[in-house]
Amino acid sequence: MVPALELEGVNKRYGDFHAVRDLSFKVEPGSIFGFLGPNGVGKTSTLRMVLGLIPPTAGRIAVLGSSQVRASLDRIGFLPEERGLYRLMTPLDAVVFFAGLKGVSAAVARKRGREMLEAQGLGEAISRPMKALSKGMAQKVQLICALAHEPELVILDEPFSGLDPVNQLGLEGLIRDLARRGATVIFSTHVMAHAERLCERIVLMAQGRKVFDGTMAQARAAAPTRLVLEGALDPSSLASLPGLASVERQDGQIEGAGLYTLTLTPGASAQAVLKAALQRDLDISQFRLETPTLHDAFIVLTKAHGRDDER
Amino acid sequence: MMSAKMVASLNRLRVIAIREFLSYLRTPGFWLSLMIGPIAATFGGMAPTMMHQAAPAPVLTVVDLSGTRATPTIAAALRGPKPLAILVAPPEAVAQASSPAAAGRALRPYLSGDPPAGGPRLDAAAILSGTPQATVVDFWSRDINDPDLQQAVRGAVTQAMQQARLSAAGLDPQVVAQFSAAAPAVHSYSPRAAGGQVSMKDRLPSLLGLGLAFVLFFAIFTGAGILLNSVIEEKSSRILEVLLSSATVPELLGGKILGVAGVSAFIIVGWGAMGLLALQHSAPGMVAEVGTALMTHGLVIWFAFFFLLGYLMYASVFAAIGAFCETVREAQTLLGPIMILISLPIMFLTVALEHPDAPLIVALSLIPPFTPFLMTARLASGPPLWQVLGALILMAATTTAVVWLCARAFRAGALSTGKLDLKRVAAGLVGRAG
Repeated sequence: MVPALELEGVNKRYGDFHAVRDLSFKVEPGSIFGFLGPNGVGKTSTLRMVLGLIPPTAGRIAVLGSSQVRASLDRIGFLPEERGLYRLMTPLDAVVFFAGLKGVSAAVARKRGREMLEAQGLGEAISRPMKALSKGMAQKVQLICALAHEPELVILDEPFSGLDPVNQLGLEGLIRDLARRGATVIFSTHVMAHAERLCERIVLMAQGRKVFDGTMAQARAAAPTRLVLEGALDPSSLASLPGLASVERQDGQIEGAGLYTLTLTPGASAQAVLKAALQRDLDISQFRLETPTLHDAFIVLTKAHGRDDER
Repeated sequence: MMSAKMVASLNRLRVIAIREFLSYLRTPGFWLSLMIGPIAATFGGMAPTMMHQAAPAPVLTVVDLSGTRATPTIAAALRGPKPLAILVAPPEAVAQASSPAAAGRALRPYLSGDPPAGGPRLDAAAILSGTPQATVVDFWSRDINDPDLQQAVRGAVTQAMQQARLSAAGLDPQVVAQFSAAAPAVHSYSPRAAGGQVSMKDRLPSLLGLGLAFVLFFAIFTGAGILLNSVIEEKSSRILEVLLSSATVPELLGGKILGVAGVSAFIIVGWGAMGLLALQHSAPGMVAEVGTALMTHGLVIWFAFFFLLGYLMYASVFAAIGAFCETVREAQTLLGPIMILISLPIMFLTVALEHPDAPLIVALSLIPPFTPFLMTARLASGPPLWQVLGALILMAATTTAVVWLCARAFRAGALSTGKLDLKRVAAGLVGRAG
């Protein structure tokens, strides 16, 4: 199957600043793909190259099977990081205008726009000028503008920023619906929770480089598993258990019953550690396994990259 | 047959142009300027006459210390349907003065606007000294910028002096008067006039050429201004990036320029229609003459070419500037030199009307930024075809280069963020930004 997006050895320089370095990855059609990383690591530059807004300094980009990115624009929906619409335009006119740029007739766009705006709870605001709408409402309108032409590839740059938690959940639902309909969704974010709930695959960026490319499970595996034990435990006894990278008392006390976090070495089994602890008659009153989150993986992977760079 | 790609591209250009056009048609300011323009032009055209008619004639006195006896000649020169001035006898204190300096001192209070009790309030005074054949005129006036009255007095005194000299030479005063009244009947001819003899009909194309040059100036000034504000709005509200993800730079720039050109054209056509209606109502015979004048030397056709190229060139520059700016204040720093460039040819327009073949005007009309204005103003004089064609080719080449450069700058500016930086503008022009 032809990837919805394919980058091969892509670089972007702005003068002396190397914004994106040797970036390669593929996005399968119909998937939800997370393009993650802290602010200023080259996410927006990459998305702009994907859209043909700026040319790569080196490398190859193929969008929907074509390296002629600009020729595929009618099949792409794009929501930029910094958002805005014409202040005097009504939401419906805005949808008709932007869909018109993608080749949708005014009659079809008007009908579709009305349905989509109403579905997003903007029925009453349909004929109000944009300047009279709240920020959240305006963001929804802009998202609808990016989707009204029913694109095959949807690129959302930091789509959750500025939205309240309720609208964030609504947007997550919308992204899932798009994927169910067969569209490929690529979104960039620095908030890992959204990616964790939505993505099948992610690419993680740090300092212009790709530091991870894989599934969510593979990403989580990069972060250590933690075992939390509670009881009248001796830190030195805990430290002697096999497969541990570190032992940390959470409540900060040195003696007496307490809560300890045991960080496992990569590949170590939490079950084996617990079994060894029980075999040594350690006084454990409670235990809990903490599986790593994407946030944990993100910190580990970006830190590891920082150390590599320092070397 | 057009390819599907071409059709899609034209569709995007159309959508952008229509939005641009309608967004201005929907504003009350647009309709206001459409209506105010002709009113302001009519008022501006009639204002000098209205002011002249409404203003009271100035009060003039003549103090004759020379014995020229020019006062009756001056009085005759002032006569007319609307007298140039009302002649009054000098106040007694002034009449008794024995020298021009004493007369001047005596006159001052009467010219100050607050005359001594019982005395006349004077606006001007002519003190004649010397001899009837070598008269000196000290002209006093409250209005130092109005030369008309002084010239009328000078002419009348000149006539009186000539009569005095001729009489002194022994000529009969009646013969002198007959000689003085002699004036030739002047008929104006030019090879550029259709029938040889110059009439209003022949001057009309030149006047229309000048008018069209001003129309072009107006269209560029307002149209490019609208475009600049529109791009600044899109830039500051982050719409440009979305637009560029849906359309190419030529489509976006072309659509915007076309839309704003539509706005300018709407205003010009509206004003033209109002002018035509007014002409039909006030002077129906002139309508056909104006039509003929517009076709003289292909005036309107050449104008269309120069208008198109000039508009495209300046609009591209303004749009590119707008793409780098998030506020009008930022844009003003870049606009200064452009505005000076646009204003320069305007200063030469009246000279181009009077001396269309003057070497400086010919040279300036061949320099692309000035060509649309100055060549339009020269067209009615029938300049050599090589000059018109050469100017057109130079203009077309320059416009192509400017549009190409501006499209690069527009793209770089549209995606730039932060404060306006001249280095970034230069990088955009050479295609090193982004």
